[in-house]
Amino acid sequence: MKTTNAKTMHPLLRKIGPLLGCIVFYIVIMLLRRADIINGYYMQVMLFAGVNVLMTASLNLVNGFTGQFCIGHAGFMSLGAYGAAVITTMVFKSNSIPEAAQIPVFLLGLLCGGIVAAIVGILIGIPSLKLKGDYLAIVTLAFGEIVRALLRLIQPIGGARGMIGIPNYANFFWIMFFVVLTLWLLRNLIYSPYGRAFIAIRDNEIAADAMGINTTKYKIMSFCIAAFIAGVAGGLYAHVLSFIQPDSFGFTKSADYLVYLYAGGSGSLTGSVVGAVLLTILPEVLRFLATWRLVLYAIILIAVMLYRSEGLIGGKEVPFLRIKRSSLYEKPWVGRKKNDMSAE
Amino acid sequence: MSLLEVKNLSIQFGGLRAVDDFNLNLEKDELVAIIGPNGAGKTTIFNMLTGIYRPTSGSIELEGESLVGLKPYQYAQRGISRTFQNIRLFSNASVIDNIKMAATMHCKDNLVSSLVRTRTMVKHERELDEKAMSILEPLSLADKADLLAKNLPYGDQRRLELARALMTNPKILLLDEPVAGMITTEIEEMAQLVVRIRKDFDLSIILIEHHMNFVMPIADRIKVIDFGRTISEGTPDVVQKDPKVIEAYLGGGYQNVNA
Repeated sequence: MKTTNAKTMHPLLRKIGPLLGCIVFYIVIMLLRRADIINGYYMQVMLFAGVNVLMTASLNLVNGFTGQFCIGHAGFMSLGAYGAAVITTMVFKSNSIPEAAQIPVFLLGLLCGGIVAAIVGILIGIPSLKLKGDYLAIVTLAFGEIVRALLRLIQPIGGARGMIGIPNYANFFWIMFFVVLTLWLLRNLIYSPYGRAFIAIRDNEIAADAMGINTTKYKIMSFCIAAFIAGVAGGLYAHVLSFIQPDSFGFTKSADYLVYLYAGGSGSLTGSVVGAVLLTILPEVLRFLATWRLVLYAIILIAVMLYRSEGLIGGKEVPFLRIKRSSLYEKPWVGRKKNDMSAE
Repeated sequence: MSLLEVKNLSIQFGGLRAVDDFNLNLEKDELVAIIGPNGAGKTTIFNMLTGIYRPTSGSIELEGESLVGLKPYQYAQRGISRTFQNIRLFSNASVIDNIKMAATMHCKDNLVSSLVRTRTMVKHERELDEKAMSILEPLSLADKADLLAKNLPYGDQRRLELARALMTNPKILLLDEPVAGMITTEIEEMAQLVVRIRKDFDLSIILIEHHMNFVMPIADRIKVIDFGRTISEGTPDVVQKDPKVIEAYLGGGYQNVNA
């Protein structure tokens, strides 16, 4: 009896293990922050690293798993940032609502930001996903620039000057919450029929089509989900920085995410996390080099690409971002007895 | 009524009439082979029968339903599945995932239940895994289920293409040069395999091939194509003796050589 217990405990531990790890990590960080070993500046860098993980992971869904080439991802981010900021700053003014209502308003803002980005993602996806490779890249590039240009024209949200006074609701808890949630959802998605359809399209679109996969539908779905996540990430970004302007979401920002993605390893969620975190922190670590730091940063990138052309983590996943086939045959650990009874 | 009725199928690329007036009535459980020299238009016929090319004229009817104008994935969903002459696997996915990808159209779970991985979704995944293994088993690929498709040897890749096509639950299977690049023993094995899956999966098969020793023993009927036209048709014995076929394959001068 004891041996079977040990065996059934294992998947249970494995399932909640990562969650426990995250909670421990959160507590450690909060303790270090309280002891002032992590100062406000380090904290800020960590918050941006979290936002960048979300952006890179969502870009990975389109570029790494579905094999499309989107180079205007910051466009979706800006839509989410403005969408969320409009809700929390203009619709519900932060200093005029009770404290208890702040979090619901914040979450509503993020949801709206995500939805705006997702809708635009579908609108741009329908005509442009019939294009392939380089041609799609050009359209997404143009899309990013159009969004930036339009945001500059809309005066009520600050035009080119941008929006200020956005409440800084996005603390370490919320950033970490959304990173963990998103990675969990994306992992589930990738190891589902939907994720397999995305990968089939990436690996061979003609064969995917011939095997009954409606490639246009799945490409738009992938684009739409990625845009939604990018929108939420943009919303978080706005509520970290308290200030957004259209020009912070230009092509250079999109290019940053492409760099994080390919340096970390496209087609691997672990790679997105590693790439985004390392490359967000690296320029800050190199700050002692003053103006030379960007040179060294670029040299490091070239070295990574030369010696690890598949990215730092190319094609691999850590255990909790992967679902093994054998886990399908494990007995569920909740309501197991009931299942056994019905089998008899 | 035949299972598949193809009438006056033609396609023109610029000035070139690649396939001219192709007709085929495929009965249930029948195996028809299309043979002909390189460039005769055989693969072009397959590309029309799977929706990759839209024919310039003619009709394709599956169980009375016209298919012309549909997208390739709709052909597959209606029960026409194929393999490719130049192997087109999902090369960075595992062998078993390759098979599962071909079952995407039978997916019963919506996006939300896949995102949160509900119990029912996991159950469906398990059933799918079992079904995929049951197809890999007879093709002796079961022990390679977790390898990446691109790391398989050539013969295994060919069989994986076949397995993937079977996973779509086809009524009609189109095999495009299934033994291209294989040696004699492998050709014999493939012939046995085709005969077996035809029976086990209750399939009608159209097959393109060059190797006569592969086609002759297993085909019920053969159509010979040259320069886009059907030049001969009938049972293997009849076709084999048709002087027009011999001419297409060996050139017109063969009689002089014999003399």
